[in-house]
Amino acid sequence: MLLNPAALIVLSGLSLALSLVFARWLSRMWLAGVVAGCVFGALAAAVVLSTGMSVESRGGFSLGGEADHLHLDAVSALFLALLSVVGAAGAIYSRGYWTDAQHPRSARAGRFWWSVLLLSLEYVVIAANGLHFLIAWELFTLSAYFLVTLDRQRAEVRSAGWLYLGASHVGTLCLFAYFSCLAAATGSWDLGPALNRPELAPLFWFALIGFGLKSGMFPLHIWLPSAHANAPSHVSAILSGVTIKMGIYGLVRFTGWYPVPSQAGWVVAALGVASAVLGVAFALGQHDLKRLLAYHSVENIGIILIGFGFALIGIQEGNAAWGQLALAGGLLHVWNHGLFKSLLFLGAGSVLHATRTREMSRLGGLWRSMPWTAALFGLGAAAISGLPPLNGFVSEFLVYLGLFDATISHTTASWASLPATVLLGVTGALALACFVKVCGVVFLGAPRSEAALHAHEAGPAMRGPMLLLAGCCVAIGLAPAAFWPAVARAADAWRPGLVPPAAPAPLFTLGLCHLVLALAALLIAGYLARRAHRYGFARTETWSCGYTAPDARMQYTAGSFASTITEWFDWILRPTRHKEIPEAVLPAHAHFEQHTPETVLDHVVAPAGTLVMHVSTAARRLQHGRVQSYLAYIVAGLALLAALVLIGVG
Amino acid sequence: MNNTLNLLIGLAMGLNLMALGSGRLPSVIRTVAIQGMVLGVMPLLIEEHIQWLALAIAVGTVAVKGFVIPQLLQRAMRAANIDREIEPFIGFIPSLLLGAGGTIGAVAVARVLPLLPEHAGSLLVPGALASVLTGFVMLIGRTKAISQVCGYLILENGIYLFGLLLLKATPLLVDAGILLDLTVGVFVIGIIVDRIQRAFDSLDTRKLTILRE
Repeated sequence: MLLNPAALIVLSGLSLALSLVFARWLSRMWLAGVVAGCVFGALAAAVVLSTGMSVESRGGFSLGGEADHLHLDAVSALFLALLSVVGAAGAIYSRGYWTDAQHPRSARAGRFWWSVLLLSLEYVVIAANGLHFLIAWELFTLSAYFLVTLDRQRAEVRSAGWLYLGASHVGTLCLFAYFSCLAAATGSWDLGPALNRPELAPLFWFALIGFGLKSGMFPLHIWLPSAHANAPSHVSAILSGVTIKMGIYGLVRFTGWYPVPSQAGWVVAALGVASAVLGVAFALGQHDLKRLLAYHSVENIGIILIGFGFALIGIQEGNAAWGQLALAGGLLHVWNHGLFKSLLFLGAGSVLHATRTREMSRLGGLWRSMPWTAALFGLGAAAISGLPPLNGFVSEFLVYLGLFDATISHTTASWASLPATVLLGVTGALALACFVKVCGVVFLGAPRSEAALHAHEAGPAMRGPMLLLAGCCVAIGLAPAAFWPAVARAADAWRPGLVPPAAPAPLFTLGLCHLVLALAALLIAGYLARRAHRYGFARTETWSCGYTAPDARMQYTAGSFASTITEWFDWILRPTRHKEIPEAVLPAHAHFEQHTPETVLDHVVAPAGTLVMHVSTAARRLQHGRVQSYLAYIVAGLALLAALVLIGVG
Repeated sequence: MNNTLNLLIGLAMGLNLMALGSGRLPSVIRTVAIQGMVLGVMPLLIEEHIQWLALAIAVGTVAVKGFVIPQLLQRAMRAANIDREIEPFIGFIPSLLLGAGGTIGAVAVARVLPLLPEHAGSLLVPGALASVLTGFVMLIGRTKAISQVCGYLILENGIYLFGLLLLKATPLLVDAGILLDLTVGVFVIGIIVDRIQRAFDSLDTRKLTILRE
């Protein structure tokens, strides 16, 4: 009974529902409810992932005239596990980050919507009825909107919220089309495997737009940077760690159940490559810490999509083994990105909490005042850059293995996998450069402002969740083979019989290498610490560059550090630069400023929106209130109809 | 019989053009009244065996369209104390041309229409179409509320002519109902015209555009 996933899911749902009641006044009870719900959810996911079983439930209740149909299998469990971990971590973090004392109005609302978000997400991953899926999806969108706009006194938060809401609804509209067409074709809202219905394949494009908008793939990511940057940090963590993965969940789930067009894999892989490279390019151009992290979400979604796209191509190429590896890499990267990106956002939240600014050029030198945050953020940064011995490298390694094998398979896929491999490598290198910039500018050097000088370390409620997430990152990094069965079962639930149960041999080797590397790093660190303790060391300004009187203003800024690389991407970043070059012998004034706009939003979506507004305004002139002209419209319409009828008759 | 009918319909079509061409409200009202009376006697010409009900309807139509409605309109005009000149939106010559063009077009189109053989020779269909078009031209081209009512009446006369095609199929009660609607409609408009005049100091419908949304 205790290890029955169905019972655990029910318990989880009940705990979360109970936490809704406590959200307003009893914040401790709320936290207990949320954590209990997440623990039960994680247990259910663990049971399903370790046994590979799947649970079906039908007809327990009825909603909107449809009997419920729940389906929990390894694919759902993979996402449920991530949801549980990040959901609990974010809830605990919010106790220290978004307190009732500091935010008397929004803290309660934040707790309430957090519970609603977790509940609706949990329902999304187990719903197997199109209508109920849409209801849960919409509820999750709305609760995420209210969480993003918790601090809605600020205008930029409100506009970010609107953008998020608008973009989400475009996506939801596509999903409405998708599920309605499915229901019309199959005769019921019930969802389930139907791979033998090739006529359903074209519907995939609706799903790609609908779920792609939610996942933030390029160029549908327009809502993502501002929403993630302006939300409270624990909300950014769950948005970036979990909710954008729901787009991936939707794609994985419904391509597993329904056939896809033959181009699907190629398109997904191409979108993945574009997201990965351009996501990291945009990230390099950012000066806002959280906006930079948000663009890294676009990049990592790209990596996941590369894996997933090559899995689809692999199926087309006769269930090729390299497709399975790429898929496993993609699915594992869902977990990994969820973990380290949440960790990074929580770390950025601690910085923001301590200094009240997200502007990197006002930070610096935080390593001394916030050692925990700096260390944990650094760990997350190493993981997201795909450095061994952490989890980011494991999943990217699996994707690489798949791509390498695809390249040497000498099929049509080789033509795509070779450039994809190269571009994935470029992405990794750029991500590393970007996080060197972040860590260097934010944590090293000297403080650039008063706020950074007087920063304080985050409290235990904020450190604990970060430690939990960092622990998960290290665990996956050091024992990758232990997590293989879970991923293999999820892939098996996706399309049965795809991934072999045994872990590929390189994974064991990788785990061993990681262990050795981690041990060696620990030993060296211990040795250095002992030496430092024994002999002491002198502190001085970093990056003093030989100046006699170094100053904090002489340090590299975020923009100058990355400018060499961002110039390569000027064609898409389209940065605006304002400069006043010092000219005289004794120059009085000099000024340089660079800003990277939201290229897709500003240069594509906004002009399109303006065009629509112009057309609508023009059309509105027809509505002027003169009865005479309305009658003229009627006559013209009648004449047109009569002409049509007469021509039709003739 | 058919010739008399065609003659009357031709007369009605001529009255259409007269209504379009006249510059004073009372003469438009009079023209519409005469047209109503001309149409009123038509059922007697179409029915081979004149029944008392048909007779009653014919008498009723002539009475209502020829006397009651014009009276109501003239009273409204007096009560609102409006000046009698029509301010056309589309000038008299253009509207006459439009009306004439519409009439010619109606005759031309009626030949193309798939009609029953017994209607093929009569002017009923072209007359009906021409009246509907004239009604529209008046509705579109005039600004005064009362002249628009006249346009509406001509439009209704066109529909009435179409109705004559189905005289044998339509219960006479329906005709009576339409007639009653029309009377009440004009009656109500007569009252409203007065109110509009008081509220806005004008009957120019161009000035009533504020309520569009």
